[in-house]
Amino acid sequence: MELLLMTITTGIMVGGIYALVALGWVLIYKCSGVLNLAMGEMTLIGAYVSLSFYSMGIPFVLALLISLVIGFVLGILTERIFLDKLIGEPVLTVIMVTVGLSFFFKGTVEFIWGTDTQVFTPAVFSIEPIRIGSLVIGRVYLWSFIAAIILLFIFMAFFKYTRWGLAMQATADDEMAALSIGISARFVYAAAWAIAFMAAGVGGTLLGNINGLNISVGYLGLLVLPAVVLGGLNSVPGAIVGGIIIGILQNLCGAYLDQYFPGGVKEIAPFAFMAIFLLFKPYGLWGWERIERV
Amino acid sequence: MRVKSALKGLCLLCCLWICFVGTGQSQAETIKLGALNDMTGATSDVGKDYAMGIAEAIHYVNDNGGVNGKEIKLYQFDYGYRVPEALTKYKLFKRMDCLAILGWGTGDTEALSPTVTKDKIPYVSASYSGHLTDPKKTPYNLFAATDYSSNARATLTAWFDVRWPKHPDFGKRKPRFACSYMFVHPYCSAPIKAIKDQAEILGFDIGPDQDVSLFAIDTKSQNLSLKSFKPDVVWHGNTTMSVSATIRDAYSLDLGADHIVNLWGFDENLPRLAGKAAEGVMAATVCAFYGEETPMMKHVVDYAKKYNAGVPQEKRLIRTVQAWSNVMALWEALKRADKAGDLTGEGVLKKGFETMSEFELGLGGAPLTYQATDHRVSGEVPVYEIKNGKFQLVKRVNLKERWADKWDGWKGW
Amino acid sequence: MSTSFLPCGTYHENYGQDHAWWQTRFVRGKMILLFLILFGLIPWLADSYWLSVCNQIGYTVLGALGVQLLIGFCGQVTLGHAAFLAVGAYTSTLLILELPWPAFLLDWGLAYPISILAAAVIAGLWSVLFGLPSAKVKGFYLILTTMAAQFITVDFIITQYISQIGGRGQAFSLPPGTIKVGPWVIDDDLKVYMMMLVLVIISVMGVVNLLRSRVGRAWVAIRDNDISAEVMGIHVIKYKLYAFFVAGFIGGLAGAFWISNLAAISPEHFPWFWSLWLVGVILIGGVGSIHGAIFGSVFMVVVMELLQFAVMPLADTYPKLLMDFLFIKEAVFGLAICAFMIFEPNGLSYRWWQMKNYFNLWPFSY
Repeated sequence: MELLLMTITTGIMVGGIYALVALGWVLIYKCSGVLNLAMGEMTLIGAYVSLSFYSMGIPFVLALLISLVIGFVLGILTERIFLDKLIGEPVLTVIMVTVGLSFFFKGTVEFIWGTDTQVFTPAVFSIEPIRIGSLVIGRVYLWSFIAAIILLFIFMAFFKYTRWGLAMQATADDEMAALSIGISARFVYAAAWAIAFMAAGVGGTLLGNINGLNISVGYLGLLVLPAVVLGGLNSVPGAIVGGIIIGILQNLCGAYLDQYFPGGVKEIAPFAFMAIFLLFKPYGLWGWERIERV
Repeated sequence: MRVKSALKGLCLLCCLWICFVGTGQSQAETIKLGALNDMTGATSDVGKDYAMGIAEAIHYVNDNGGVNGKEIKLYQFDYGYRVPEALTKYKLFKRMDCLAILGWGTGDTEALSPTVTKDKIPYVSASYSGHLTDPKKTPYNLFAATDYSSNARATLTAWFDVRWPKHPDFGKRKPRFACSYMFVHPYCSAPIKAIKDQAEILGFDIGPDQDVSLFAIDTKSQNLSLKSFKPDVVWHGNTTMSVSATIRDAYSLDLGADHIVNLWGFDENLPRLAGKAAEGVMAATVCAFYGEETPMMKHVVDYAKKYNAGVPQEKRLIRTVQAWSNVMALWEALKRADKAGDLTGEGVLKKGFETMSEFELGLGGAPLTYQATDHRVSGEVPVYEIKNGKFQLVKRVNLKERWADKWDGWKGW
Repeated sequence: MSTSFLPCGTYHENYGQDHAWWQTRFVRGKMILLFLILFGLIPWLADSYWLSVCNQIGYTVLGALGVQLLIGFCGQVTLGHAAFLAVGAYTSTLLILELPWPAFLLDWGLAYPISILAAAVIAGLWSVLFGLPSAKVKGFYLILTTMAAQFITVDFIITQYISQIGGRGQAFSLPPGTIKVGPWVIDDDLKVYMMMLVLVIISVMGVVNLLRSRVGRAWVAIRDNDISAEVMGIHVIKYKLYAFFVAGFIGGLAGAFWISNLAAISPEHFPWFWSLWLVGVILIGGVGSIHGAIFGSVFMVVVMELLQFAVMPLADTYPKLLMDFLFIKEAVFGLAICAFMIFEPNGLSYRWWQMKNYFNLWPFSY
């Protein structure tokens, strides 16, 4: 029983980190219909920027905020330089551009920060865990979870109550209609990339605090894919719930299935689950169903 | 269309380079060496340091007379830890008549092993897997270090000798031992058979293996299932990042076990990443840490400062020294083969490496002995531990003396 | 397949001529010349290194052909094609190493050819298995299921289970001399090259023929609009699965062929990166054209090799630059892909087509 409880708690906490990265995916897809395979590298950039500022002696929260600002600028730049010209191009072309972008980002990160593992020193989060009864929760995980929840509410409110958010919703729903009522699609796309870059930065920074930073952190950008799909590609709450479900699933599989299928179950379970899940709910939990006509 | 013309220009430029390379090899007295390194791929966090070490060490060799006056020309390639790329680059080396190759990881070494044996090209790599030490199977795979299996045996023995007697349960029960590594990765699982054998020899209870991915960010579920076994010592077979994650989770879950680590999970980053949790972690090393006091270390540091001035000193790792060890051993073998007048792949092996006996590199590792029947360089392994964030020698374990009857049978595990 | 014009004065008098492979004397001469170059000039001129580059191109062509078929002709985007190459390679390797072949088959050198066929079929079936979701999902969600195919096949099944067969750990070594076709032991680049040519030519011909049959037309209809295809009476799911089978089949062929060039295979040979790479190849070559798969492969392989060459002389003079150059190279490569997509979205084959048409009417173009 304790194992089960512990596993689920851990799953929820790790899921928080997945959710943060998944948020970025969903935002870009929701607003501009781009499947962004450069997400992992965006995570990296955000993390490295905040690490650089932190190692200059700037307090952690401030460093994170600065990295958010830089992420915002970079997001807009990326959209303006690369994606802007691709509006209306086939889906695959756009995906491949994001692949190209991921190479470009990766090369740039390696060029600027090198490939060796870098660590937040002094450590931001204490290694001592928080204990609630028999439950043990790592501080980094707890904070990521809290950050994910806060961001969830911010984005939900953003999409529901602000002009920008509504404009983005409208563009996602029907670009033509949105254009005709005076919404600037270019503005919406730029905003989406900027926000995604920022969300990725938060996720990356928290991740960097767990294991240190090197390029393999970007690998996580892929691991969150099942979370994104599970929630539905264009649902913000879906990303969070999907992330948490995947986190729990992963840990349950690790704890209970590993003995029967030795090796790798923890890593592959999300993908297998995703493939099967899609057979039953092809649009994820809350994804929009597209009705097609000839 | 400007892009196209730019591309065309690039192609032209490349062609020019090729011509340049093709004609620039007229110098007579050079020895060509190939180096395959990972500076951009999955293992670049340690691979880059190793690659820089290789280049610096070759500079040192050339500044000190080369191979009896012959200059070494190094062709260093990044293969991004992609085996297919390594195979292509290997063919390129062969075409350029490289005398020997300085390889890197498990992937390329394993994949190329039958081929280098066929082509008789010595392949000096940083993959110290125990099963490359049997000259009957893999005569041309060499390295100037004790292999993973010996290291694992030695570390476990050191723990058994030093820590276990201080344990409150000492003498009351058998010590409990478990392994945590990525099952399927050949680097991680290479010494498993050896270390379990050693645990049986020393009388451990062996617990269930835990599978931890090299990219793991969370290992609580593995640690929880370890906890039901209550191990006294856990062996970690992964690389630094995931080892630190595992150790930290073990710390926060009060696993209460000591940790011993394989070579590539034990470097200057471990205490930085795991902080307090890394205290007391033990591992065998194959050479001294960067900047430690050994006869050759001054040169290592000097050349690092000279040729890679842009890299801060505190960023240089033990991997540099490992690279130097490999290059120095190869240098010595080349010199001996050259003196014997047989500067071919076979000559380097038979008249170079295999004539070395108790050869001291001065880099803190064990003296090197290569026999025609056994390529394990030494039976003695230094074991270090982390104390207050610094590395400290615990003990030198001499496996060969202690298990003289079994030592020969352990070859090639 | 009449995307180019016939020269003036050439008329077809029966369907046979209309469907002929090489419709004019000029085309015939051109193709014969091409074959002469491929079978004669290149093996004669190129040394072992350039032959191995050619082999890599051939391997990429075989891989990209399947991707081209799925993406370019059937509209099913796949980002997991390396999985099927892996299935092919592993099936063939396991058959050669583990199956007790009757002695006469080994003597006649038939073991490897048979294993190639078996590998292709199994890879095809495996591909159908992962094509099944395409019955229900499409677009992005399908992309993600094909990615799942990659991770489940390579990172899980092959890495965790298949690789452990025979206790070898990760890599299966193929001892020199195991790969034998007929009387020839495939052990140098020239023989691999010849085998590659034969395989590539067979598969290209196979695919082109398929494309001008009922099946191919059904695929194109599905690509253009699957709903209207269904309305026209095409069994969409059946033809989608056909496409997956053929793509997997060629992928299996590619994988099984590639082991002849390798001394060992490991899951590392088939990373997700390679799936992306294959998609990149057809995008740069041109989607929806067989030429595209070939041009793209040549371009990508040769450019990467040349970049490597450009680095080498620099290493002597600027060791520091060498380190950073690698990253610059990677960044530049990424940028190049972006630029290609942005400025040349139709790919190289479109340029080729334009060039051909220009010369068709040259010197009196309008």
